[in-house]
Amino acid sequence: MSGAPLLSINDLKTYFFITEGVVNAVDGVHLKINKEEVLGLVGESGCGKSTVALSIMRLIRPPGKIVGGEIWFEGHDLLRKSEEEMRKIRGGKVSMIFQNPTSSMNPVYTVGSQIAEAIKLHQDVRKHETDEKVVEILHKVGIPDPGKRAEDYPHEYSGGMCQRAMTAMALSCNPMLLIADEPTTNLDVTIQAQILELMKALRKDFGASILLIGHNLGVISELCDKVAVMYAGKVVEYSKLEMIFEKAKHPYTQALLESIPRLDAGAERLRTIPGTVPRLINPPPGCRFHPRCEYAMAVCSKQEPPHVEIGQGHTVACFLYTENGRTKRHR
Amino acid sequence: MTNRSRANSGGQTEEAVEPAKATQLFFVWRKLRTSKLAVAGLGIVLFMVILATLASLIAPYDPEWTGISRRPPSMEHLFGTDARGRDMFTLVLYGARISLYVGVAAVALEILIGLAIGMAAGYFGGIIDEVLMRITDLILTLPTLPLLIVAVILFQTQSIHTIVLVMGLFGWPFMARVVRSEFLTLRETTFVEAARSMGASPWRIIIRHILPNVLSTIIVIGTMDIPWFIFWEATLTFLGFGDPSSPSWGVLLERGYLYLRREWWMITFPGLALFFTSLGFNLFGDGLRDALDVTTRGR
Repeated sequence: MSGAPLLSINDLKTYFFITEGVVNAVDGVHLKINKEEVLGLVGESGCGKSTVALSIMRLIRPPGKIVGGEIWFEGHDLLRKSEEEMRKIRGGKVSMIFQNPTSSMNPVYTVGSQIAEAIKLHQDVRKHETDEKVVEILHKVGIPDPGKRAEDYPHEYSGGMCQRAMTAMALSCNPMLLIADEPTTNLDVTIQAQILELMKALRKDFGASILLIGHNLGVISELCDKVAVMYAGKVVEYSKLEMIFEKAKHPYTQALLESIPRLDAGAERLRTIPGTVPRLINPPPGCRFHPRCEYAMAVCSKQEPPHVEIGQGHTVACFLYTENGRTKRHR
Repeated sequence: MTNRSRANSGGQTEEAVEPAKATQLFFVWRKLRTSKLAVAGLGIVLFMVILATLASLIAPYDPEWTGISRRPPSMEHLFGTDARGRDMFTLVLYGARISLYVGVAAVALEILIGLAIGMAAGYFGGIIDEVLMRITDLILTLPTLPLLIVAVILFQTQSIHTIVLVMGLFGWPFMARVVRSEFLTLRETTFVEAARSMGASPWRIIIRHILPNVLSTIIVIGTMDIPWFIFWEATLTFLGFGDPSSPSWGVLLERGYLYLRREWWMITFPGLALFFTSLGFNLFGDGLRDALDVTTRGR
């Protein structure tokens, strides 16, 4: 079954229609996730990563709207499913972890009862079985004394424990795809490492594919098989993890990599990328990165760069690597 | 901690639901107890409720019994007698029944209407919100007293129930607004988003996920509004739009004010009853606000 990807997104377009105009938050994104694969989706804040995630779940709310594209999951286009059908998929086959663990839990219910509710929504199990499952899954995500802690309220959990509990809830129905939207932001560095370790372990245990969203390539690299780099609503580079680290082609990816602090790099100043992600109401014409790109050429501001395959499964959208691009500069 | 885990040892099974709820109440009580004013408020409220329910047992006379009129307070007539010689103490006791009924029934109506409108407006937003909130604004802009008077007159039958109905029909805008604003905030929270991502339906999200978070606010407002409705009923009655056949505290006040100069007891005792009841509900409501806050539980 390695042939057909579990999830494949074609030309996804999600726009937000606000009074100032139309925000092209996601504008023609292509992505593939194979079974049991971890895909990292990286990019700066505001480049549309979370919008991709919410689009897959069909949780985009007005003024946002998915205006085009296809999201193929298990041979069906999720964008053509009814709301009712989507509800069965959410939390059942595809589930999601959010970036604010402490506010992802309903404060008025115990952690255990919330996980139990998720299980009851999707599985036909008897009450005492549900309780056993809750304790079992809390144990799996490393909550100490799970039988007792299941009776605690979310505010009695620490941030890390909340994220563990959220992960437990998301995994409670054995999803095929887990979307983790910056699961480690807002957590201490030590806890971040623990959560990543946990996800690594769970990946083996549950055999789910993971879409890991983050802005930190360092964190992403801990876990991913493949990486897609997003910039201003588009995927600019997509490849295996090693290739991204060793042979990043897109100037944006290169810049991102150089802005990761490294222990072996001496005391040089960290590189920063000048400027910010453009406002997506009026994105720059042509390649959206060209105003911040040090290799920008005349063509960059006129045409949109096509996705070119420059290695096995390594695609990049940049004129530096197109056939008719005059320069083939390598760094 | 030990208390709860012992009571909940059965987990989330059906059998464990009762003890779980009991412990919830226990925690609310434990927090409430820390505030002397709140306990005093609860005491007054309970005292009034007991007096009202046991009025027929406690009252020394029948409410229809007449003796010598306009007697000042004495051992025989604790609160004196009114212009027709009825025992004021008995009347105040029976009045408590009617006034408390008015407060509680009107609040029930207020919650029913305010909750439905606030939930719909806050959760669905858009055009639904727009229409419902303009109706709410309209009622809020109209002056309450004339509105109630006109409505009571329109009903023609001067019964205590029509007064309750009218107050309930026009008393909900504040509740609706508060519920709406809470829903507006809560529907954007991550935990609602997370519930959605787990496949919960809108109805389930409203009832199971958002409403319980608003419940404490509703209870507090409801508690504080009970004396508010009692006061409005008294006001309407005082102005002559009440139901004389149901001698609420308002009716007693209306009858007594003519004798304010010399027979002060006729208006003072129903007034004091009204005052203490109002004070009690307000203190209790205030304490509840803190006690129902789940995040400070056990601290």
